[in-house]
Amino acid sequence: MHIMEGFLPAIWCVVWWLIALPCLGLGLFQLKRILATDREALALLGVTGAFIFILSSLKLPSVTGSCSHPTGTGLSAISFGPWITAVVAAVVLLFQSLFLAHGGLSTMGANIVSMGIVGPLVGYAIYRALRNTQVNMFLTVFLVCAFADLLTYVTTSLELALAYPAAVGGVASSFVVFMGIFAVTQIPLAIVEGVILALVFKYIVQMKPDILVRLHIFPEEKIVATQRGLADAA
Amino acid sequence: MFEQLLEDIAQTNALREVNTSLKLAAGLGALLLSLVSTGYVAPLFIAIVVSGAILLLARIDPYTYGELFVAPVSFALLSVAAIVLISGGSDALWSWQPLPWLSFSITIESINQGLFIFCRTLGGMSALLFIALTTPMTDLFVVMRQCRLPEVLVELVTIVYRTIFILLDQLVQCYHAQVMRLGYSTRRESIRSLATLCGVVFIASWNAGEDLIRARDLRCYDGKLVVLGAVRPVELRPALAVAGFLIVSSILVVLTGKITIISGIP
Repeated sequence: MHIMEGFLPAIWCVVWWLIALPCLGLGLFQLKRILATDREALALLGVTGAFIFILSSLKLPSVTGSCSHPTGTGLSAISFGPWITAVVAAVVLLFQSLFLAHGGLSTMGANIVSMGIVGPLVGYAIYRALRNTQVNMFLTVFLVCAFADLLTYVTTSLELALAYPAAVGGVASSFVVFMGIFAVTQIPLAIVEGVILALVFKYIVQMKPDILVRLHIFPEEKIVATQRGLADAA
Repeated sequence: MFEQLLEDIAQTNALREVNTSLKLAAGLGALLLSLVSTGYVAPLFIAIVVSGAILLLARIDPYTYGELFVAPVSFALLSVAAIVLISGGSDALWSWQPLPWLSFSITIESINQGLFIFCRTLGGMSALLFIALTTPMTDLFVVMRQCRLPEVLVELVTIVYRTIFILLDQLVQCYHAQVMRLGYSTRRESIRSLATLCGVVFIASWNAGEDLIRARDLRCYDGKLVVLGAVRPVELRPALAVAGFLIVSSILVVLTGKITIISGIP
């Protein structure tokens, strides 16, 4: 669940917007450069945004009565890198606040930082670290998505803790309290999201591997080897 | 499983034909005023007036409107409870210190702060819902262009908008097909089904995107889809009502900033 409208004090709304804006600028710059060479990428990006929107309007079956949902930004971070993901996440957050009343406009800066910047950055770092190693592709996708989801909520807790520090122990103990609230639903949720997106990835490898090759997401040999493995298992 | 999109309601609401900038001024003005307020009176006033406008002027179904508040309010209550417990103060009504660096207490100040944050959330959420329920996204595209937002961004927003509806159709169809075949009968089965659903929608979305760009290319698309906005002049009475509402709210923000709900131990 994103931070809703009116929950953060005005000053923190400004701070998070100021942090988010340069990242969005960098993302827009990269986006323009990509579009100058490959115009089809715009449709592709739009589709990724819509996909993240749809994913986050899905309620996961394992958690009942919670507003938790997958963030889906892990897949986008792998495909387009963290900065463009920030732009896509910002567009998705705008739609979520206006279509579903998730999140808000003044708190959007804070939500962009948590869902669009920190989560994808961590996910992307994990992906880059594991991409050219022997580590299984599905494990890589699982780790990227689970950590992108988890770090999103860690950042949200930090944002809340900074805005509302505890009287005793300050920001640190306030952070622990907010993390405690989120941990109950978020740790199982991050694992489920990782599993689901890894399964989605398996489906893509089986049905439409050319997408992965075209975007240079994983080395071609690795994809072919995995496909062969899946065919043998079946 | 799928929430009704507010967009569907916005397309048919009773304030549909009112000037977009005027509606945005009312919504964003209310949002900002409730954000900068330091007391609980102004946000509460804004929440009541804006909700009244949504229910009576835009004629949104009260039950639907109430339902929209359930998720944010439950999340807000949980977080406000945490803030009340940790923010401390001088007149402690109850306190407990389980660890040297962690202390929970309920004080007059913390209750006041909790209620204030809760009222501000109500004010902000109702202002946000006012924009969401009365202004369709298609009208906002025109405003975005007028505000000189980067062309790439506006284009991305329009394409995401279009694709969401294509995907939602496919998603609902596949989901119903899965349910008919007992795809969500057990937990294990539902995780598998959900993953297949996401995978199918992912690939379908990819194809839809390629089709979209091909169709646009055939119509000489060059990265800018020009849409003419409907011309809706600002009428005097709605404009006066919005101005009056914003002025009264601003006065309330200034005058009632120091008023708290509980002033001392009874």
